[in-house]
Amino acid sequence: MSRDTPADREESTIQPDGGTAPAHEDVDYLDREVNLLRPSTPFMRDHLKIIWSSFVLWALVVFGPVTLTALAPEMMTVQTPLFGFPLHYFLVSFGAPTGALILAVVYTRYRDALDQKYGIDPDSVESTAPEAGEATAADGGVEQ
Amino acid sequence: MTVPLQAEALDISFKLVPAIIVFLMMASFLVIGYVFKVADTEGMWVAGRGIGNIENGMAIGANWMSAASYLGLAGLVALSGFYGLAFIVGWTTGYFVLLIFLAAQMRRFGKYTAPDFVGDRFNSPTARALAAFTTLLIAYVYSVGQARGMGLVGQYVFGLEIIPMIVVMMTITVGYLALSGMLGATKNMAVQYTILIVAFLAGVYVVGFSQGYSTILPQIEYGALIADLGREFSAPFVNQPFYLWIATAFSLIVGTCGLPHVLVRFYTVRSERVARWSCVWGLFFILLLYWASPAMAAFGVDLFQTTTGASAYAAEGGMSGAEGDVIVVLAAQFANLPTWFVGLVAAGAMAAAIATTAGLFITASSAVAHDIYTELINPDATQRQQVLIGRGTIIGMGALVTVTAFNPPALIGELVAYAFSLAGTVLFPMFFLGLWWENTNRQGALAGMVLGLLIWITSIINSVLPSYIGALEAIAGEGGAIVPIYAQYVPPIGAALIGTPLVFIVTIAVSLATPEPPMETKKMVRQCHSPEPMGQQETAADVVGDNTGGGTPADD
Repeated sequence: MSRDTPADREESTIQPDGGTAPAHEDVDYLDREVNLLRPSTPFMRDHLKIIWSSFVLWALVVFGPVTLTALAPEMMTVQTPLFGFPLHYFLVSFGAPTGALILAVVYTRYRDALDQKYGIDPDSVESTAPEAGEATAADGGVEQ
Repeated sequence: MTVPLQAEALDISFKLVPAIIVFLMMASFLVIGYVFKVADTEGMWVAGRGIGNIENGMAIGANWMSAASYLGLAGLVALSGFYGLAFIVGWTTGYFVLLIFLAAQMRRFGKYTAPDFVGDRFNSPTARALAAFTTLLIAYVYSVGQARGMGLVGQYVFGLEIIPMIVVMMTITVGYLALSGMLGATKNMAVQYTILIVAFLAGVYVVGFSQGYSTILPQIEYGALIADLGREFSAPFVNQPFYLWIATAFSLIVGTCGLPHVLVRFYTVRSERVARWSCVWGLFFILLLYWASPAMAAFGVDLFQTTTGASAYAAEGGMSGAEGDVIVVLAAQFANLPTWFVGLVAAGAMAAAIATTAGLFITASSAVAHDIYTELINPDATQRQQVLIGRGTIIGMGALVTVTAFNPPALIGELVAYAFSLAGTVLFPMFFLGLWWENTNRQGALAGMVLGLLIWITSIINSVLPSYIGALEAIAGEGGAIVPIYAQYVPPIGAALIGTPLVFIVTIAVSLATPEPPMETKKMVRQCHSPEPMGQQETAADVVGDNTGGGTPADD
């Protein structure tokens, strides 16, 4: 977070209309290409760094234990001191889902920090009524 | 046609107190729906886009956890051993992928339904229709598992044979749906989540405690039991090979990210930040059940063996599929807990099945009434005609689901997994590429979706239909699949492992070979990734429309 210069902070006053005014830095996000493999803005680059690193960890936590079990069944099925679980059973039934939850919390916190770094306040959204005619009846009315 | 399996060990008789519990529960859903009723479409479909973190997390949990989670999961772990864990992994860890790649971006796109997204993003009524058809198919396959779960639990509570029981329970559900609609759906979902998680955890804790298996943490204390349960429960890859394990987990993960009724939860929140946090909360609330489910399976298998004196796994005379499917209720019954308590556990299963079926039927009826009928067949459809078509869809689907559930081809959890591999093959690549690569175009999407549908449908015809259709059975012979090698690598339950990458490749290749999408569409995608906050009721299309000075592009 130390990267922010005072000037950046001043720029970061939010325009809640999300419209054409340059909200922070001088990036017009509608003019920058969206490509998962070629981030085109500093924000996207930072965001993708978090996404990819947490994704790799996730893949290891989720598919690692079961793959190791297939490769080295002897090593993975040893009984653990913890309540007598076989190692593979514990890592898959408890480790993988819990690991995903922890990574989800970590990702979301990093993502919040990223918002802060770029001076974005996502809670500054307007809570206005929808513009007239936006909620077309065609979408619903099934059980009305 | 064979007689459907019954859970013989289940105490089938009419039970007054459990029946009252079930009726009170249904009545409370109606009352809550009435109190929190909404009048406009915005409120009906996306709850005014004002739902908070925890509440939306609970709604995600209730919407998500069906009879497959409540009953089927423990059944799979009990009957399929280590392979059953693929379902636990697949049905939970997928939320992480949803979180990092889709949730917030979908919120920024800001439409109403999955076909809406596909239709608007790819500017194509045909793509919208394909997405609507897929949605319908998913709802149908998914609901069969629910109907079977309701039938089995209904047997325990009301004591009828399974066929009349399925008919009765599905009639009640369809009637309930007609009465309640999506009234106060999100409020109801939070209540439904509370009922189902309390009932399930009460079951696990009380069974574990009363039988001396566990004290305060049954979620891991069941480990001590594993050595007694035999190889079938924990040894890796004895029931199914490594490939199928991975294929199943992969399909369930991408399926999670492609399910229309899951994605719609992210349209209901206040901001994209809430979309992210509610996804985390949703995963936590789901894990409360998924941590405990293998414990219940272990208790159930052990109790089954002590009570019946037979191994749950003997090739002949072991636990039947139907018994596996109700192992959660059976475990409570075998533990000699009072009838009202077993009834409570059963009622939780009913809440889970009804909540999800209601959500699926609403999704299906809107897909038919709005995305297929109004968009394609009769653009001038009146509100009244749409309501009629929507109701007709619910009734028609209810009938079809009921009949299919009489003789289902697989366990509850497996049936639901078929729907996941469909969502993961056809819809997930459209959501993912649609949001992350702005050059994905209409032709690419159409080619990809058609291929995805083909892969899934041929896989079902290959391995599932032969047990229904005599002519196909004759071709299939012993192995039960027409083309065994196809069944081995593209099994219906894990079709996405091959299918999803193929659909990705074809969609990308066709998009590259054909003209790029219009700038307005690209800007919509960019808006989904822009960090700048946008209005609570704004959609990406609105922002792009404002920016270019024109109207919103092809808003429905």
